[in-house]
Amino acid sequence: MIRKEAISIISKKIGNQSIISANGFISRDLFEINDKNSNFYMIGSMGLASSIGLGLALKNPKKRFFIFDGDGNVLMNLGSLATIGATEPKNLVHIVFDNSLHESTGGQPTISKKIDIHSVAKTLKYKTYKATTKNELENILHRIKKMKGPILILIKISKSKTTSKRVDIDAIKIKQRFMESL
Amino acid sequence: MKATIQKKVFNYLLKNNVKNFVGVPDSTMKHFINEGFKKNKILITTREEEAIGIAAGMSMSRSDSLVFMQNAGFANSLSTITSLVQLYKIPMIFLIGWRGFLKNDAPEHTKIGKIQPKLLQALSLQSKVLNEKNWKASCDWALQLIKGGKPCVLILIRDFID
Repeated sequence: MIRKEAISIISKKIGNQSIISANGFISRDLFEINDKNSNFYMIGSMGLASSIGLGLALKNPKKRFFIFDGDGNVLMNLGSLATIGATEPKNLVHIVFDNSLHESTGGQPTISKKIDIHSVAKTLKYKTYKATTKNELENILHRIKKMKGPILILIKISKSKTTSKRVDIDAIKIKQRFMESL
Repeated sequence: MKATIQKKVFNYLLKNNVKNFVGVPDSTMKHFINEGFKKNKILITTREEEAIGIAAGMSMSRSDSLVFMQNAGFANSLSTITSLVQLYKIPMIFLIGWRGFLKNDAPEHTKIGKIQPKLLQALSLQSKVLNEKNWKASCDWALQLIKGGKPCVLILIRDFID
């Protein structure tokens, strides 16, 4: 499964719910597949999608927030997972697309082949799931539909062969339309 | 700054609708933070950038936020300030402890204490140094700026050696 396929499956399942997506190819893929006002594309500040998502989740307890993260992003801000585990937001679903690569910067390796992010999240009090096939991903999404978070789904993906277009919406516009969607 | 004034600063901001106080502690502002704990309003994070990310999510939820940190943490946060707070124009108040203000502060603070005003200027971040006379006017100034959607900085000087 490549990231675009996983994003496509998730988009169909979660409909118009809010997504905070990490910088790089993750936001680009989401933008190309399913652009909508309730997507917050974090185009800089690598590592912080989960922190932004936590702030939103704590302030909007009746809404569910999906974080689209990558292995490089998670490893850059592991402390955020600890804070999420400690604050226990019930409405936060943290999805990590793990290709063990910094794909956006040329495919350099991350350490996620040696350090299992899924186990780390479990230790940090998340409910955790792991998907390697499309079928597994669909089943997990079905199972967590009404489940209380924080939930982390680690999706093992392979390197994409094509690159999605850049997010060409102005940052302030991204923020404004996202805020209006809340 | 005296404990009584630090407490007043906290309560004044709280009364004026600042709802979230997120950050990494600094001894310079320990009375401010302790007052916040008494009111159950403090969220301590692992790093300063994380606090800014959380505050960004809270501010986008239309809930006013303050991020507190030592100036060492301010130095950590430069990229987050430029590529998140300023790029998206997300309002928040930064409360920064000015270590290295006194010449005999611990050596790790000397350099950052010296360049702090220049860093703020280079970032075009508006700031005011709090003191026992101007604290209320400075808080009003900061509240006005975030109401207008702008981030700004309040600075607490480290005026003691322990």
